Amino acid sequence: MFKREWKRNAKSLVIWSAVLGGLVLLTLSIFPQFAEQQKEVTKLLQSLPPAMVKAFGMDQLSIGDLTGYYGVRVYTMTTLLGSVYVAMLAANIVAKEENDKTIEFLLAKPITRREILTNKWLVVTVNTLILNAVSLLVSFVGFQMAEEYDVSFKAVYLLTLATVLLHFTFAAVAFLLSTMMRKTRNASSFALGLVFVTYFMSMMSSISDDLSFLKYVSPFKYVDAAPIINELQIDPLYMVLMIVIISVSIVSAYAIYRKKDIVV
Amino acid sequence: MSIVHVNELTKMYKNNRGIEQVTFSIEEGEIFGFIGPNGAGKSTTIRTLLNFIYPTSGSATIFGKDIVKDAKEIRRHVGYLPSEVHYYDDMKVIDLLMYSAAFYKVSDQRLKQLAERLDLDIHKKIEDLSFGNRKKVGIVQALLHEPKLLILDEPTGGLDPLMQHTFFEVLLEERKKGVTIFFSSHILSEVQKLCDRVAIIKEGKLIQVETVEYLTKNHLKHVTVVFEEGQHVEFDLAGVVNKEVNGNEMTMLYKGDMNELIAQLHNVRIKDVSISEPSLEDVFMHYYEK
Repeated sequence: MFKREWKRNAKSLVIWSAVLGGLVLLTLSIFPQFAEQQKEVTKLLQSLPPAMVKAFGMDQLSIGDLTGYYGVRVYTMTTLLGSVYVAMLAANIVAKEENDKTIEFLLAKPITRREILTNKWLVVTVNTLILNAVSLLVSFVGFQMAEEYDVSFKAVYLLTLATVLLHFTFAAVAFLLSTMMRKTRNASSFALGLVFVTYFMSMMSSISDDLSFLKYVSPFKYVDAAPIINELQIDPLYMVLMIVIISVSIVSAYAIYRKKDIVV
Repeated sequence: MSIVHVNELTKMYKNNRGIEQVTFSIEEGEIFGFIGPNGAGKSTTIRTLLNFIYPTSGSATIFGKDIVKDAKEIRRHVGYLPSEVHYYDDMKVIDLLMYSAAFYKVSDQRLKQLAERLDLDIHKKIEDLSFGNRKKVGIVQALLHEPKLLILDEPTGGLDPLMQHTFFEVLLEERKKGVTIFFSSHILSEVQKLCDRVAIIKEGKLIQVETVEYLTKNHLKHVTVVFEEGQHVEFDLAGVVNKEVNGNEMTMLYKGDMNELIAQLHNVRIKDVSISEPSLEDVFMHYYEK
């Protein structure tokens, strides 16, 4: 069953990895030119509205330095696009069986519901890890293209770890939604909505101090690039918070699915 | 030992009726018909037996094992054909069957034999198949792992008469091997042709469990009388059901004393009379009129 699920989702994994990898590479490849025009960039930054600078964390990170550039430009893509991908994958993976009524086939086989979920979650896990591995590998290729510039590998690893945690947070919540809903349309729109709304909240909380309470609500804020690069650590509180969200979602998903009446 | 034993099984949905206090047993090697109109609770019963849905109260066992606790064990030896067959559209027939086979120990031989027997092209994509051909995939899929119990939910829909005949042949062969068959349907003639016993379900409640023979032979007679012009008798007898008058012709089901019927007939001039075994349809109508 794992094999089957793996195959079914392989195509979209390849596409997403290629797109994300391509974007990362493209972004990193223009860094040398970008750095040469450092002065103009600084000027440009000054001309930008301060709110926008804050929203992308550019007030705390130097975008002219490769690590900072990575944290602002590449990291935004890997976190946001990656979250969209894993949320859609996880939201569809269980609900699709009910949506397409194929669950009737699967449930008539000698397999428990727990095993069904385990196989499906495993596919989500593997795909998430592969996506992140691809983006990390491509980043190294990108750094090669800008070898005259220094990059803090420790920061890059930490950022990658943060991205993985973030992705699993969204994947777990979307997986829970997937077990609750009967229609993939509902599950995936909920999950996507969640990704975008929390992303928006994270930006809002950076811009305005009045809205800073939002930072606890948005997983994007948990993995904000600036503190990770500047302090070289992920805030343990946020790390624990994400692990708790992941665990609670997965445990609830199993509990709900175990008792669910499946009528197609 | 009963293969299936259902004990006061009840499933209530939030808004609509499911099944109430359904009790019956299916013995090893029999073909057990389960009839009732759409929405009577046939599929609900089957889905509960397969643990797609949880019973509200009551219990049931298959092979002596609890349907909720031992669902996985039970499914190893159960073949299920849903009333509407839905499969993964991206798969070819052979992919689906191999996927299904991967859950059990299945010989390739068996797969090929069944596909050939039902004249099924296994290299086509499932989404390109007609309704009838999808049904065939479902049949092969249900029989593939040589289950001890077959649960068939309205299995003949979409099959042409020839294929239906082949399908019934296959079922009878399986039965010879000792397979028990649970056959749900709203088409009575096929139940009559195939089943040993039937359970009649109506509005979520089991009305009767009888042998097909008993239902059709021992009790009711189907009576048709054609009177001569101007002649008429009301037949006010105990045991007359479903009387219908159509011009000079009167049809009814009769389960009373034959002599009384003949005595009444004696008093009028008739053109024609026939007294015959009722079809299961007649019997069925009888239960539903009550």
